[in-house]
Amino acid sequence: MTNADSPRYRLAVLAVVVLALFAALFARLWYLQVLTSDTFELQAESNRIRPVQVEAPRGRILDRNGTVLVDNRVSTVVTVDRVIFNALDDDDAAAMLNRLADEMSRYGSPATVEQLVDRVNDVRYSQYAPVPVAEDVTEELKIYVEEHRDEFPSVAVERTAVRRYAYGTRGAHLIGYVGEINDTELEDRADKPKTYERGDHIGKTGVERIYEDDLRGTPGRTVYEVDAQGRPVRILEDLSRPPIPGDDVWLTVDITTQSIAEDLLKDALDAARNRPPSGDNLPNEAPGGSVVVTDPQDGSVLAMASYPTYDPSDFVNGISSARYAFLADEDGPRPLNNRAIQGQYAPGSTFKLISGYAALASGLREADTPYFDTGSHTLENCEGQCTFRNAGSKAYGTVDLQRSITVSSDAYFYSIGEDFWNARGRLGEEAFQESARLFGFDQETGVPLPSEQDGRIPTPEQRKVQYDANPGAFLERNWFTGDNVNMAIGQGDVAVTPLQLANAYATFANGGTRYAPNIATKITRAGSENTVKRTFEPRINGNIDLPAEWRDPLLQGLLGVTASGSGTAFGTFQGFPLNEFPVAGKTGTAQVNGKADTAVFAAFGPVPDPRYQVAVILEESGFGGTAAAPVARKLFDQFAGIAQPPELQPGGELVYPVEAEDEPTQEDLARVGSAD
Amino acid sequence: MDAFAGRWPGTTRSSSSMRRNPAAPWRHVDLIMLGSIVAIAIIGTLMVFSATRGSDPDSVNTGTLERHVVFLLTGGTTMVLVSMVDYRKFREWALIAYIGVCALLVGVVSPLGTEVNGAQAWFQIGGFQLQPSELSKVAVILVLASLGAQFGGDVDVRRLGVLLAVPAVPLILIILQPDPGTAMVIVAITMGVLLVSNVRAKHIAALTLLGLTGLVFVLNSGLLEDYQKSRLTVFLNPSAGLREEAYNLNQSKIAIGSGGILGKGIFEGTQTQLDIVPEQHTDFIFTAVGEELGFIGAATLLVLFGILCWRIWRIAQLSRDQLGLLLCVGVLSMIVFQMFQNTGMTMGIMPITGIPLPLVSHGGSSTIALFAGLGLVQNVHMRRFS
Repeated sequence: MTNADSPRYRLAVLAVVVLALFAALFARLWYLQVLTSDTFELQAESNRIRPVQVEAPRGRILDRNGTVLVDNRVSTVVTVDRVIFNALDDDDAAAMLNRLADEMSRYGSPATVEQLVDRVNDVRYSQYAPVPVAEDVTEELKIYVEEHRDEFPSVAVERTAVRRYAYGTRGAHLIGYVGEINDTELEDRADKPKTYERGDHIGKTGVERIYEDDLRGTPGRTVYEVDAQGRPVRILEDLSRPPIPGDDVWLTVDITTQSIAEDLLKDALDAARNRPPSGDNLPNEAPGGSVVVTDPQDGSVLAMASYPTYDPSDFVNGISSARYAFLADEDGPRPLNNRAIQGQYAPGSTFKLISGYAALASGLREADTPYFDTGSHTLENCEGQCTFRNAGSKAYGTVDLQRSITVSSDAYFYSIGEDFWNARGRLGEEAFQESARLFGFDQETGVPLPSEQDGRIPTPEQRKVQYDANPGAFLERNWFTGDNVNMAIGQGDVAVTPLQLANAYATFANGGTRYAPNIATKITRAGSENTVKRTFEPRINGNIDLPAEWRDPLLQGLLGVTASGSGTAFGTFQGFPLNEFPVAGKTGTAQVNGKADTAVFAAFGPVPDPRYQVAVILEESGFGGTAAAPVARKLFDQFAGIAQPPELQPGGELVYPVEAEDEPTQEDLARVGSAD
Repeated sequence: MDAFAGRWPGTTRSSSSMRRNPAAPWRHVDLIMLGSIVAIAIIGTLMVFSATRGSDPDSVNTGTLERHVVFLLTGGTTMVLVSMVDYRKFREWALIAYIGVCALLVGVVSPLGTEVNGAQAWFQIGGFQLQPSELSKVAVILVLASLGAQFGGDVDVRRLGVLLAVPAVPLILIILQPDPGTAMVIVAITMGVLLVSNVRAKHIAALTLLGLTGLVFVLNSGLLEDYQKSRLTVFLNPSAGLREEAYNLNQSKIAIGSGGILGKGIFEGTQTQLDIVPEQHTDFIFTAVGEELGFIGAATLLVLFGILCWRIWRIAQLSRDQLGLLLCVGVLSMIVFQMFQNTGMTMGIMPITGIPLPLVSHGGSSTIALFAGLGLVQNVHMRRFS
């Protein structure tokens, strides 16, 4: 046996082999755990961690007294992830939806396959976010689907925080609604400190939109540790941070006043629709209108009603295409429109306050300069259509400024319009318009709400520009005396929003300070109503000169509207304690081509320190004194404390104390309406 | 033996009690080897628990831990039993054990066996799965060592043929399951024993060549499923393997690599606690060691294996006969190969095969077979004077 063949030698060879293997293992271990450990540490970390953004609860919206109007509730929603769903083969998908519909019905959330299919195919939802196919389903369904997860691919049942509207549709236009953020909004808000991601909710209109930055909470982050299948195992507290709820917005609005205004608006429109048209007027369609109540002393909006309205809870969990198509249809009733700031109407005789002021301020006329009203006014140096008639050709005899307001003499104001045009060499072509702008017309009021309209005060210059731009669409390029005459009674091309009208009267009512209307008083920190983040002080947009010799005759004229036997709203305010609570107002009945008249009423009280400014505009509803003034009267009944305040129920219904005989009947109302 | 007598003054030669007999086997237990076995088993138990306790801190899963301890106790008992009978007696039993194991291997590929993970390698007996291929390793060691000792130092081609035929039968049956990992262990055992049985160097070279050819043949034959082939080759090029295999290997390397020098601490390894590494308490247990105990811990484990191998190698040298020598070499080959293959696999330098890490991985059959082998080695050490 040679040495090389001895067992001892062979064992040595074996030892060398074993040592070599050990050396290889140590080298590799050193390489992995010492030399390249850093990269593996990073990979291990990303393996186990899944950060998820948690949307924070939105701040609440409260009324001026702290009544919660909007907060949040938990909704259990069934969603379908279309990316997964579309990857299923058709038979499986159909079978699964069938099964889902059956189980939903069985667990107390009835649904049909058609409904589910419609939702899944609804193009309005993002392709990438799960589509909500059923909202507010039962807890039993959630448990069932989760226990049978494998049988419902693409389906998830999750809880989300959604808006809860404590008083239903009350204040819907003002409050606005919330919806899923769209691509444009996502882009616009890329730099916001409160980050957004797809699927987040954002205020779309109203207060929800304007105070979005306050209402939106600061999203939290939950960092999950996940296992190999990506299933969450635990939450990594030190890496997570809780969402911070959004701040609360306190409105200037009193929700009871708001609700009363809404009901009165709706009732007045219903009543107008049932009222036969007088003479050869067109039937009242009364499709919509608005009531605005503000505080003239600081510009706060106390109520802002617009009819028809919508239910913001339709938008919770995503609105159906059909519903949205109806709400947004340009040719339909347009319930999403906030007519208080987006509706533009000829103000009719309510504009006479401005015409009267303009005449005084420009020195064209003294308040006590008599004018003999024969029922019409004929222009001097005029060709063609030169005689302008009072409504119903009613003659008021000798009137001054005060009386012409009280009785609403058109002829008096026609003469003012004429005088302005005749004096254009001295005062300029737009002296009249300038006065109107001082009252805030032809511009936004500055109310912090989106999509406010400017209204319109026509000018000779504007007419030329419009005509030149589109000669076929306008009859005239030139401005005539008659245009001034029409403007003086709030007709022609004059258009105002209900809020502009209220604000103009409020400016007069408080002695000449034009406030930008506020809709919020303050923002408070979430969960702490006493921690004020910021307050909204009254904002002054301008001042107008209102010396007593101008103010008094105008004010007396307006007071006469309700208090004088010849006042156009005298009948409406019968029985109202005008001695203790003087109300100054003005009716308006604006003619609209091819439609019934717009009924208008603006009033404030109690004079001399008014706290309430009411403006009522009812589309295609007839006389202002008949249709619009009673709405204001009933509001003032509340403000003056002569009517029992109703009780606002959860859900928004008003329950009035039983007090039958105080209610004027339809006949009473019809009787008190007078010529305007 | 007389040389030792004087060391114990007061003892008399007439005393025949075991306690006083310096050649008594129990006096020659290799305590260092035993210590390394216990140390490795403790680390293993800890890591099996860590890998299977679950990620819910409120309800720790101890089921696997309990089974593991039972396996270890059963294995330890087996080791003691095996070491109590003079290893020379096993020569007579070797053939019976071998035939029995071959019968079991035939049975397991028949419909009696149970298929798990694509390999029909188990008998389901109540709650316990018997894996005959694990037992076959010990049987092959016994038969090869017996024959090698019988042949003395003289292995001609005919005898070589006999020595090759012995492992060939179980090898083929195991490949039929198919279980390439255990097949490779059988090959490693055979090569180790042949090396030390004085098989001629040129024969060994020829056999190595033949083995490599066979390997290529097996890889290209239809015997292995795609995933098994992928497991075998993915370590060469991780991006080319099947997705799952590449994923497993990658997660395994991340676990070990992210442990760093000191490790993340016991029960603190995220790859381990979150079940990110597959089969972690069995074949990939080394990743738990690497991640939670770090380089310090993993290197300590390897050093303990080193001590164990050194002791077995030393016992082989000290063996008073060729049989003891070859038994030790067989067991050594088995342990070294399994350890190298298993840890090498988790670190990406060896193919992925279902081979347990000796004394550490959770598994009944393998633990018992391994302890039986260690019992044989201890047996040789204990009886080197008798």
